Amino acid sequence: MSGILASMIDGLLIGSVYGLAAMGLSLIWGVMDVINLTHGAVIALGMFGMYILFAAFPVNAYLLLLPVIAAGLLLGLLIYWIAVHWVIGRSQLSSLLSTFAVNMMIIGIGTAIWSTSPYNVNFTLRGITVGAYTFDGNHLAAAGAAVIIGLALELFLYRTRPGKAIRAVADNREAAELMGISSTMVLALAFAIGIALAASSGALVSTLFPFTILSGAGYQMKSFVVTVLAGLGKPLGALVAGVLLGLLEGAVTPFIAVSWIPLIEFGLFVVVLVAFPKGIFARATA
Amino acid sequence: MTPLLEVSGVSKRFGGLQAVSDVSFSLGEREILGLIGPNGAGKTTLFNVVNGVYKADKGTIKFAGEDITNRPPNEVVHLGLARTHQIVKPLQDMTVLENVTVGACFGREYLALQPARKVALEVLERVGLAKSAEMSARSLTIAGKKRLEVARALAAHPKLLLLDEVLAGLNPTEITYMIGIVRDIRDSGISVFMIEHVMQAIMSLSDRLVVLSFGQKLAEGHPEEVARDPQVIEAYLGDPDIAEKLKEND
Repeated sequence: MSGILASMIDGLLIGSVYGLAAMGLSLIWGVMDVINLTHGAVIALGMFGMYILFAAFPVNAYLLLLPVIAAGLLLGLLIYWIAVHWVIGRSQLSSLLSTFAVNMMIIGIGTAIWSTSPYNVNFTLRGITVGAYTFDGNHLAAAGAAVIIGLALELFLYRTRPGKAIRAVADNREAAELMGISSTMVLALAFAIGIALAASSGALVSTLFPFTILSGAGYQMKSFVVTVLAGLGKPLGALVAGVLLGLLEGAVTPFIAVSWIPLIEFGLFVVVLVAFPKGIFARATA
Repeated sequence: MTPLLEVSGVSKRFGGLQAVSDVSFSLGEREILGLIGPNGAGKTTLFNVVNGVYKADKGTIKFAGEDITNRPPNEVVHLGLARTHQIVKPLQDMTVLENVTVGACFGREYLALQPARKVALEVLERVGLAKSAEMSARSLTIAGKKRLEVARALAAHPKLLLLDEVLAGLNPTEITYMIGIVRDIRDSGISVFMIEHVMQAIMSLSDRLVVLSFGQKLAEGHPEEVARDPQVIEAYLGDPDIAEKLKEND
């Protein structure tokens, strides 16, 4: 029994990292109706970003999250101006294709530099032992960092001027412009934040598991499941839904082969899409 | 004295439709200028050109001495030209107070959150929405949403307020209340340029009227003069009672 419990706690910790990744996808989707298919590639870049930074500065890897986030913001602005700005307001297929193109470019460049062989970040925090079980230090730290970043985003969106501008544009772009908000600036900012969230989640994953330039794809898929669970454009809901998905994984892992997990997750994805199209946290209001 | 708003020779065409054609007029400080005309006359299009939602094909728009032709709406707001929308557009997921706070944040003065909140509370008091401050904007009645539109625009501390049919859909009590709000806005030193179909209200509120028909300026002047203008009466013939309605206010 304690095995399941431990597995579920581990799932919960990893789930918060899934949630952080999904927050990025959800924010971009909610604010500008763009399904960002660079998401997975950016998660992978976050992993390699952490790898490069840790090789250069072998300090506590979790401190290196700050430069990863900063680089993620810049990368986000760059991707926005290259591939997103021009297709805003067009059909979702346009942005789907343009972000997919950027995704392929990143993967291509990444493969040229790092090939597709696995890398890892050689940093270990001491775990915490409770009774018979030791919780992995890195898992605890990654989950803590994910929750802190997630809550910081929530505070930013609700308690600051630029955050309110992002919510106003997400709500009604035309009304926001009449109120003096430059929607172009706001969209660029929201996209940059979404990319920075994806990169930071990748950086956290790199401290837990080995990775390749292709590793982002699996996390992108999980982000879709989490975003649909939470409902579009609800970043904090995405964090909670990520934790739930992690818990689910933790609960089933002791009983079945890992290869079955995607089947379960995407089965859930379909069920939620059909039964709760607005997400499991949708209020009953019209 | 130079006028606050000066529109000269403005035209706007959509495909084969000449929506606004060579319209010129001006608006002074502390003036209420009414814009009337039959449905489809181009009133809202003219508003949209003035505050930059649409680009003008021809003509210039000067506001407070500055050329604002084709400046986008969000920049025009910073100069002090705010606007309400005919079809109310509250930010649904925010509270009433938050809606107005955002208006104050990104208005003429770029206020920080705390001072913006203070301005928002004052403005809500002025339009009689103080009690609903913490309600979600989506749960307001139509009358409430119309007042919220006005509050949001007022919070930007404008010099000129464009009101697009703020009385439409209101009952007589609500109309009387809203007329009071508009008068109060003007008395506080803000000019008003308003589109309205409720004739009695626009006749009594406006210092001057501009009449549009098929995109052209048909008449301009004191409400009483305009009401007697045979061209104006003819333009309204689709509605045979309108001439009578206009005269009721003499």
